[in-house]
Amino acid sequence: MFKNLITKYMTTSKEKLYTQQSSEEAISIKEKDITSNLDHTTSTFKSIYSYPNNSDVKFRDIQIGGINKKAVLVFINTISDTDMIEKQILNPLLLNEEPSRKIDDLISAQSVSTAKKIRDILKEINKGNVALFIQGEKQAFIINAANFQGRGIEKAENEVSLIGSKEAFNEKVMTNISLIRKKIKSEDLVIESTTVSKRSNNEVYYVYVKDLVNDELLQTVKERIDQIDIDSIQNLAILEQHIEERQKSIFPTILNTERPDRAASFLEEGYIVLLMDNSPASLVLPATFWSFYHTAEDRYVRLFYGNVTRLIRMMAMFIALFTSSIYIAVTNFHAEMVPPDLLLAIAATREKVPVGAILEVLFMELAFELIREAGLRIPGPIGPTIGIVGALILGQAAVQANIVSPIVVIVVALGGLSSFAIGNISMNFTIRICRFAFILAAGAFGIYGITALFVVGIFYMVSIKSFGVPYLSPLTPKYLSSGDTIFRRMLKNEIFRPSYLKPKDMKKK
Amino acid sequence: MEQTSGKIGIREYIAIVLLTIGTKLADDLPAILYSSLYNAAWMTPIISGVISILPLYLLLKTMMYYKEKSLLEIIVHLFGNYIGFVIIFILWIVGTAAIVIDSAIYTDIIGTMYFTRTPTIVIYAILIGVCVYAAKHGLEQIGSVAKAVLPYIKASLFFALILTMIEGNFAFLFPVLGPGGWEVIKESSIRLSIYGDILYLSLLTPYIRKTKDFTKGTWIAFVILIVELTIAILAYVLLFDYNTAHLLNYPYHEVIRYISIGFLANMETLFFPFWLIATFIRFAVYLYINGLLFGRLFRIKDFEHMIPSLATLFLFLGLILENESIALSELRDHLLFVVTPIFFGLPCMLWILAKFKGDYKNEKT
Repeated sequence: MFKNLITKYMTTSKEKLYTQQSSEEAISIKEKDITSNLDHTTSTFKSIYSYPNNSDVKFRDIQIGGINKKAVLVFINTISDTDMIEKQILNPLLLNEEPSRKIDDLISAQSVSTAKKIRDILKEINKGNVALFIQGEKQAFIINAANFQGRGIEKAENEVSLIGSKEAFNEKVMTNISLIRKKIKSEDLVIESTTVSKRSNNEVYYVYVKDLVNDELLQTVKERIDQIDIDSIQNLAILEQHIEERQKSIFPTILNTERPDRAASFLEEGYIVLLMDNSPASLVLPATFWSFYHTAEDRYVRLFYGNVTRLIRMMAMFIALFTSSIYIAVTNFHAEMVPPDLLLAIAATREKVPVGAILEVLFMELAFELIREAGLRIPGPIGPTIGIVGALILGQAAVQANIVSPIVVIVVALGGLSSFAIGNISMNFTIRICRFAFILAAGAFGIYGITALFVVGIFYMVSIKSFGVPYLSPLTPKYLSSGDTIFRRMLKNEIFRPSYLKPKDMKKK
Repeated sequence: MEQTSGKIGIREYIAIVLLTIGTKLADDLPAILYSSLYNAAWMTPIISGVISILPLYLLLKTMMYYKEKSLLEIIVHLFGNYIGFVIIFILWIVGTAAIVIDSAIYTDIIGTMYFTRTPTIVIYAILIGVCVYAAKHGLEQIGSVAKAVLPYIKASLFFALILTMIEGNFAFLFPVLGPGGWEVIKESSIRLSIYGDILYLSLLTPYIRKTKDFTKGTWIAFVILIVELTIAILAYVLLFDYNTAHLLNYPYHEVIRYISIGFLANMETLFFPFWLIATFIRFAVYLYINGLLFGRLFRIKDFEHMIPSLATLFLFLGLILENESIALSELRDHLLFVVTPIFFGLPCMLWILAKFKGDYKNEKT
């Protein structure tokens, strides 16, 4: 109750502080239709676009040949294809000699549509299209000419694969869609779009296979996205945080992948993929724990190779989670477990170290995390420095200065190294954060603390749902599926699609 | 996308039964059996198991008949409102006693075997805290976790038992009948309550997807349990001989201290976490069932919210007991005696009453 009062007080006082300028007039202009008076329309648009201060908005006055009518082309030349405008719009309009031809027949561009409302026309111009106003016409012609600048298709950098395709998504959504279409050549692949933000008009594209996806799931996803009420959503990473079920949870529930082949294989199972401009990635939902644990490579190599990698990755996950905490638990609480020789060796190396084991480990872990973060942010040319500094500080100097014991360096380095084996960035963060929690639990209650925290963690994981799908399914609760969890099966035995998605067609073949 | 129904399937149910009852082989139950039956203690699970078939069969038969009703509803239906209330109340009291005594024993195990210097209240609070967190998530989650961890827990147990058997001496088994045949049967039959938890677990039927899953799951789990308990109790005798075994309060924990492979001399810290996980799940189930009964008694619909307060009460009751640690296993033994008539009698009475009321006749015609 107090909280409510305080927030109420805070908001009202803040609103009083910043008086807003009313934009009602501007909004009401945008809601109107255009008139047949060309000069009036042009001046309206010029004032909306602050012409000529706004330097990349172009207003091109022309006289259409043959018909002899005045016309104005409006476009933003930084995001439209000027070459195309010249060849396919300007030239045919100017050089026309036949008075009877219609505008649609004159323009040779891919698509021509019409719009009446000022708001709609603005939207199209902002997308890079060309608006053509003609004297006496109560509608504008919208001609498709968008051409945003962007990177070409490059290699996947975060999800490396040795055998699979090297293409990765880039920041242009049309390219991304074409990369998916290249893999699923089917008329059932549907790409729907919707606008999510109010000011920046960012668009989200739903990609799904029509005869596989569960309609209810699709509906839920759409509703969740429609509920977003915000000015701007720049990219998928931001969108992901808006549509997640538990936004404060440390477990990711939506998969972010930069590989079109992975996205396509998820689509073929009945999942939904979201795409957006400006994100070199796609969102796959709903996601289970396994999708963060798997990589594309697992399925490309032969059965045993793939399963051995999975085994190594599962071990890495446990090593990253538990080595440091088990070291603390064993040395502080369960020393009898270690064979006497080893115990004496550990004791001898720890002899000169002034701090307790837990502080020692926390110190090293922190140093490791620092080096890792610094290495990520450091500009390329000075990159190697961090390696030298890291190796020297962690490996040599700290031990010689008796701040940490050598065995702690081994333990922390092992855990740190293992954490790199978990490819997915979100899951990587989860594991790293959990590791610190386990270290504290081990410091307080040894193995008992670790196990208690582990059980709590498992219960938490089981209770998470991603768009209604339990996080650990199909392992538990059990669902009919291809059985691709910790290990994968022979490809010919993977008959079913995951039934927790309730796809329209359960059988793959 | 399947919206989960909050119900569990047969796998989860079997996992829950195996973990709640199976964990008993790793607490002081074997010690209690050794103290009266010496080296014939391993027969108890079999003999009580065989005798338990009757009440179990009647229970399942009655429950199958009133398919749409839960056990509590059946009790009220057959006994009427007042006696029904009393019976449920007794069930709740006994269940509460079981939780309090058992959790005190488990705290004692952790405290005396592994964390001698940690204050009891801290160990106890963590135990109860984790179980409350688990129980509050509901049966579906408990079932899921139980199913997920069951293979690893059983694998660790299997591994420990194999190592024990290898080091054991089969001569310790003789004389086979221990204190004598009649004694074995008598002592075994008054400890039917080893399997008494099944009566409590049958309260969970409304949360199991199909009634058939419940009956099938119960029989499967029951057979596995008999085998498991027998082998475990046998293994301890083989390793220690009954003389030592009955002096040991917690044979399983002594066993895992005793066995070794290669250079690892003390392996208990390897087995301890698995036992702990099983313990957490066991008490989560107990707390959930207790909350369920409490909710039914006092007509609280969202009984899950009651679990933390109930658990806090149990924690303090358990702490009182904990101060009398010698009394604990005495109490446990008494509890086993008390539960036996309930476990045997209630299903029989239910079945007879159902017959008497003529509900079975209607079924046949």
